[in-house]
Amino acid sequence: MSVGFPHFGNVYIPIKAMTKRLGAPDGEVIIPPPITQRTLDLGVKYSPQEACLPYKLTLGSLIEACELGADTLIQARGTGICRLGYYAKGQEQMLQDLGYNAHFLTLDVSHNKFIGIMRLIQDMNSNLPWREIIPAFFFAIGKLFALDKIEKVVQKVRAVEVEKGTASRIYREAINVVDEATGSKEVKEITKEYIHKLTQVPKDPTAKPLKVGIVGEIYVVIEPFANMDIELELGKLGIEVERTMTLSRWIKYSLFLNYLGVDEWKEVHKLAGPYVDHDIGGDGWESVGEKVLYAREGFDGVIHLAPFTCMPEIVAENIMPSTKEDIPVLTVTCDEQQSKQGMLTRLEAFVDLIGFRRRRREHGRRV
Amino acid sequence: MVTVGIPRALLYYQYYPAWKVFLEKLGAKVVVSAPTNKSILNSGVMRSVQDTCLPVKVFFGHIISLVDKCDVMFVPAVTSLGKKSYNCSKLIGLPNMARALIPESPPILAPEINCEKGRYNLYRNIYAVGRYFTSNPFKLKKAVEEAWASNLDYQGKMSDEGITPLQAIDCQLSPDVNSSSFTIAVIGHPYIIYDEYVSHRLISQLQKKEVKVVTPEMVSPEELDAATRRLVGVPHWLFESEIIGAGEYYMETRVDGIIIVAAFGCGPDSMMLGIVQHRARELGIPILPFSLDEHSSEGGLLTRLEAFLDMVKRRERI
Repeated sequence: MSVGFPHFGNVYIPIKAMTKRLGAPDGEVIIPPPITQRTLDLGVKYSPQEACLPYKLTLGSLIEACELGADTLIQARGTGICRLGYYAKGQEQMLQDLGYNAHFLTLDVSHNKFIGIMRLIQDMNSNLPWREIIPAFFFAIGKLFALDKIEKVVQKVRAVEVEKGTASRIYREAINVVDEATGSKEVKEITKEYIHKLTQVPKDPTAKPLKVGIVGEIYVVIEPFANMDIELELGKLGIEVERTMTLSRWIKYSLFLNYLGVDEWKEVHKLAGPYVDHDIGGDGWESVGEKVLYAREGFDGVIHLAPFTCMPEIVAENIMPSTKEDIPVLTVTCDEQQSKQGMLTRLEAFVDLIGFRRRRREHGRRV
Repeated sequence: MVTVGIPRALLYYQYYPAWKVFLEKLGAKVVVSAPTNKSILNSGVMRSVQDTCLPVKVFFGHIISLVDKCDVMFVPAVTSLGKKSYNCSKLIGLPNMARALIPESPPILAPEINCEKGRYNLYRNIYAVGRYFTSNPFKLKKAVEEAWASNLDYQGKMSDEGITPLQAIDCQLSPDVNSSSFTIAVIGHPYIIYDEYVSHRLISQLQKKEVKVVTPEMVSPEELDAATRRLVGVPHWLFESEIIGAGEYYMETRVDGIIIVAAFGCGPDSMMLGIVQHRARELGIPILPFSLDEHSSEGGLLTRLEAFLDMVKRRERI
């Protein structure tokens, strides 16, 4: 059996770490090549025309995994309201039509997530005892936590660094080093080391960067290819970015704390309450709530990322302008037709706008 | 007497008889907006975000047209009607979007119908709506029971007599007596295929060309459900049987051709139509997909329709 999975942010790092730790033979887990234009082209070619970008990208990634010989594929499934529940059905059919005889293992991301993941891991490593699987799992997700911790610092440093691109370079280096680390202790040390490196980056002491919050659909928010590295581009424009949605946060709450009755979105849902009072599927409810949250916390703007035709995000997009809390929102629709230059022009205009607003607020008049 | 406005869009085509009975038994007067026309469509398009799908834009247009004709608007948020099958996000967030986009609208009564949350939640939501009209719980209970009965009656009427919702609602008991043996199934959401402005009178155009038209409503819900399970297993969406179930049912009964009508940018349809098209290819049944938006023109639709019918008829001869 050789298992393939679609790319999603840094999710390949823990999967790789776990297979190594569990001593899987070579070729049992196939890591598809990083998402490139080719992945997108493949996905677009074989998807229904109006399917959303995450569907197309994951299909492209799965095709690339199949090309490398994967015969068992992992895909998310859910009984949520959005199309996610249909991904596996549609993609399995398409891969069969293409002649890959792949078998799908689906991971339910709406119910019993922890047990689901554990079962999946056991299915893949049939003869291993739990006492080996569980420590390997914690070691693997430790890497994800470390990377997200470093990224939080990177998002701040990017905005104020003197030489643009330094922080991103350090972050790329950190990804590689964390990927190669073999022990939990090592991962911790690397995290410390890289955070220290980032604090040493020469910064502009006078800069007071504008702050922008990123909200939207989880796949396009987390996968840099899908949003065309929007965080990096914002950093180049001197904008500090904050984003609550990270993979490690999802793991922390959905796999552990939700079972103890902790709801990470409780506050956000409460803030969204006057406008949306029940779940509308996907991440729509959270998007509206986070807009309100960022407005209250004094952010300068919000960037809303949504795949084209994403139902929950369209609902959110319709509702957002009417909230009492006033903050500029730029909705960026991600699909295969988008161009980087077009997005950059819009980002520059948006940054000008929020800059004006801040100056007006500080000086109390038009400047 | 309270006047309740019901927009003639989206779930109107499925539940209007039940809603009417429910509200009238509670002593309200029901006003329905006029059939979709250009100004209704345009006013809806102006208000909503560009990416929104056509039926939802039409829905907002209907709400705007009702604003000064009623005291309260009835827009239920139908989330789930069965185990683990949900509605589309846009229909669930409908009252919220309506409140946000049409601030001048009268208060919106929006019970959340979510069977996933259990019986108690459902009763409480219905009771909360009923309280607006009456404080007598027995009267409310009676109204709900009668509404349910009329809903079953409505569904039964459509599937037994083979008539469309429009005919069933208007009580024009004249099923299409077209004796033609040439049958085309029109598959799509009722709010698209029966909205004559949105679908450019597709069904009557077909009937004019002496084609017998069958639609998803002409099959009983149980049979549709069974057909869905045969093709894709447990349904994921509330209206999956309307598209996949009906497609599979009519393909098994070997209709001469299938026309699927979808709104551009409809999320669920983009997935489900792929499955229906795939199945049609397997069985070798001609299929014509239409994607409608506010720019589609009747002329373009007719040309494609004629070409498709010619193709199907010719296939028949060979």
